[in-house]
Amino acid sequence: MPLLVSSGAGDSPPERPMPELEVVGHPAAAVRAHEIVTGRALYTRDLGIPGTLVGRLLYTPIPCGRIRRLDVRAARRLPGVTAILTAADISGENSYLYSIPDQPLLAFDFVRFQGEALAAVAAENEEAAARALEAIEVEVEPLPGVHDVLEAMRPGAMQVWPDRPNVHSRLVIERGKVDRGFARADVVIENQYLTPWVEHAFLETEAALAMLDNTGTVVVYSPGQSPHRDRRQIARALGLPEVRVRVITPAIGGAFGGKDEAHVQIHAALLAQATSRPVLIERSREESIRTHVKRHPVQVRYRTGALRDGRLTAIHVEAIGDTGPYLGAGAEIMACLAATVFGPYRVPAARIEACTVLTNNPVCGAMRGFGIPQGQFACELQMDDLARRLGIDPLEVRLRNGLETGDEIPTGVRMRQAGGMKGCLIEAARMAGWDRRREIERAPAPHLRRGWGMASILFTVGMGRNVPDFAGASLDMALDGTVSLRTGASDMGQGAHTALAQLAAEALGVPLESVRVVVPDTDQAPNAGPAAASRTTFVSGNAVLRAAEPIRHTLLQIASEKTGLPLNVLGLRGGRLIAEGETLSLNVAELAREAALQSRGLHADGFYAMEYPEPHPPDAYPYAYSVFTFATQVARVLVDVETGQIKVEEIVAVQDAGQVVNPAAALGQVEGGCAMGIGYALLEELIVHEGRTLNNSLEGYLVPTVRDVPPIRARLLEYPEPFAPYGAKGIGESSLTPTAPAIANAVADAIGVPIRRLPITPERVLEALERGEDGRVR
Amino acid sequence: MSEMRIRVTLNGAPMELRAEAGKSLLRILREDLGMTSVKEGCGQGDCGACVVVLDGEAVNSCLVLAAQADGAEIITVEGLALQGVLHPLQRAFSEMWAFQCGFCAPGMLMSAYALLLHTPSPTRDEIEEAIEGNLCRCTSYRAVIEAIDAAAGEQRRGGLAAGAPDA
Repeated sequence: MPLLVSSGAGDSPPERPMPELEVVGHPAAAVRAHEIVTGRALYTRDLGIPGTLVGRLLYTPIPCGRIRRLDVRAARRLPGVTAILTAADISGENSYLYSIPDQPLLAFDFVRFQGEALAAVAAENEEAAARALEAIEVEVEPLPGVHDVLEAMRPGAMQVWPDRPNVHSRLVIERGKVDRGFARADVVIENQYLTPWVEHAFLETEAALAMLDNTGTVVVYSPGQSPHRDRRQIARALGLPEVRVRVITPAIGGAFGGKDEAHVQIHAALLAQATSRPVLIERSREESIRTHVKRHPVQVRYRTGALRDGRLTAIHVEAIGDTGPYLGAGAEIMACLAATVFGPYRVPAARIEACTVLTNNPVCGAMRGFGIPQGQFACELQMDDLARRLGIDPLEVRLRNGLETGDEIPTGVRMRQAGGMKGCLIEAARMAGWDRRREIERAPAPHLRRGWGMASILFTVGMGRNVPDFAGASLDMALDGTVSLRTGASDMGQGAHTALAQLAAEALGVPLESVRVVVPDTDQAPNAGPAAASRTTFVSGNAVLRAAEPIRHTLLQIASEKTGLPLNVLGLRGGRLIAEGETLSLNVAELAREAALQSRGLHADGFYAMEYPEPHPPDAYPYAYSVFTFATQVARVLVDVETGQIKVEEIVAVQDAGQVVNPAAALGQVEGGCAMGIGYALLEELIVHEGRTLNNSLEGYLVPTVRDVPPIRARLLEYPEPFAPYGAKGIGESSLTPTAPAIANAVADAIGVPIRRLPITPERVLEALERGEDGRVR
Repeated sequence: MSEMRIRVTLNGAPMELRAEAGKSLLRILREDLGMTSVKEGCGQGDCGACVVVLDGEAVNSCLVLAAQADGAEIITVEGLALQGVLHPLQRAFSEMWAFQCGFCAPGMLMSAYALLLHTPSPTRDEIEEAIEGNLCRCTSYRAVIEAIDAAAGEQRRGGLAAGAPDA
């Protein structure tokens, strides 16, 4: 089953300078596999603490309005009701979200979207909590609100905030002579693309259990991607020093960016503070969909100029993102889109504009891909359009423009390692039989059309230049040679803890089973920043390697003293001492005991901050990314031209991983990304009407079932990344990104008409067939 | 609400408790019987995270009321391993990364367990049918299907008897 290859066509992967790896690159079960399959893995709502109160939030009855009355007095007197908090009861700051914390925890003057919370209730049981919510007297005077993003941008439009413009930001990235680029183009194509609101639909909805401990500290158990940032936000709201808050991250039931923002942690902590009792808030599925941040719906106008041979001369992109009424990370997501929307191609001149616009629609934020999937969708449909227009094969047009190591991109960065671009492209084409696709039946029945499509993308790793991007990790070796690894990085299923344990085992020369990853706990683990931006393997991985180094050094020093052999011939492998390939009788446990006898510590902290040693042009985009992964996917679809139904027959997915840490886990990430990408392409759309989502359930909002996911042939390529731990980098987000454009291009190939709006539903297929190529938006 | 006395056999052990007739089996299992492997993902039968085996059939326990569960034999993931020996399904799920976050795994395992009770050699289509109601947001289901297939093979070869108590 391991579909690993280390050679492919295109740039051949460089010779591996690394010594043979013992743990990294080898399959390993998830560190919590046993607990998961026995049902003993504890998620937040499984933590039973006696006397825990039921916490509930009262949400606004309407999406947009002015709060005229919010009276909790009668509700507070009900039996079984322990506390009801409104904005006035918050002692610290009544605001949250990261980056720009402008969302009130509890609204007090206006409600600006459907997920606004008005009051927090703690009660002895669910029934009492429900009665309390009913008994709170609420009067919200409806206001029309701004629900259309283009309307919101017009001069004189109704303001979402009286003192803030609706267009929060307009980022411009410009490089090269754009006018000249278009002037020398033989062909210019321009299209408009639309993507929908998308819901994370993690299986475990949000929850938080908060309590006070015997040191006067507020302890919060919760699934979060960023425990240290959550701690900070809780402390701000409660008016406490950060060290008086402790955030512990038990098992997380999926996150996909949706648990990067604090959700109910702060509310639970406020209630625990108010009642001195443990409080558990769980969101129902309906509440979850209604309240948490969504993937941004984006409108992209994309203009591409190219020579007759397909080489790009210039692009001009205008992207507009509807971020809802609160910013949080909204502008950063649009910036991430802007800093990648040129795709994995050499673009001599680019002008990119990205607007982040406030409306009264759902609040948008991080979701697997952080703006990149929307931009790459547009870019990849442009490339196919270009190929069609010029009569060049889609593979060829991509190869002619493909980035190579050393090429400069429109953010002013030179590619450190771009071998994966053409490597993935060529390998995916080979696996899919791209050159022979015309030999296969195109219309297997009168009403069926078969089509092939490809998409090739670039994806970023890390937060970008000039943005804090660091992680700590600590390692402790016990006297028996086993190791505790403490990290603030969350594992929400992506396999981060398994990967970090493998890196630690590799670096220390101990078996993987010897390494235990301690449940992330801000009281114990160093800050690792968010488990986001595909950064954990790279940044936390390096921190782990740095923590391992002094421990390994101490062990080897002791070994050298005991054996009389020089330090430079000694090594550790699988928990045993080795010298020039020979296994000696001393093992790590004996060395660890000897260290203790000699009073030499086997604890070390590692710290790593993302490095950007290259000079950066002063006029270039200051937050540019320098670490990229590449991926190509090829989709084969069958379209029923009578019903508009699309069947994805197969997906070939080739992903650049730098160095694979865990083949089974990495393949799972790639395939899972494809599955989510199929949802994005064909099924998923939150229907928003006047600020309300109409499909707040998993019955109304469809995510792929086993019947929706076709066979996926996945393969990982290894082009070691400079500065990365053993060359490894994150792949979880990039694997989702090519799927939707590959499917869209395949549908266009099948029916002869591109559909530039996601999801590609049967209705949209039929519409497209009716209007034909001529009816397209220009 | 009227409380009633409910008798069930849970993972082979007879149990008796009092519960409101309208309380869901999901809540009874989690809150009264401590079976926290049973997960709630939606509360309305859309996701399959709460699937348990009831009288030999996979059911969404959120849709079963206490009164309906009276007299039933129920198996949850807690009952799959026998004397510490994992069931072939559990081993295959663990070794083959048939989950990522793990939240869907207990429901998925119980759907698979019910399948293998009736269909020791399931086809791929039968496996897909059995887990059609179990959503997984992390994987592509490929590893789940392969793990169920591998476990079925191991069970047929009789390498290890199924760990669960007789249902």
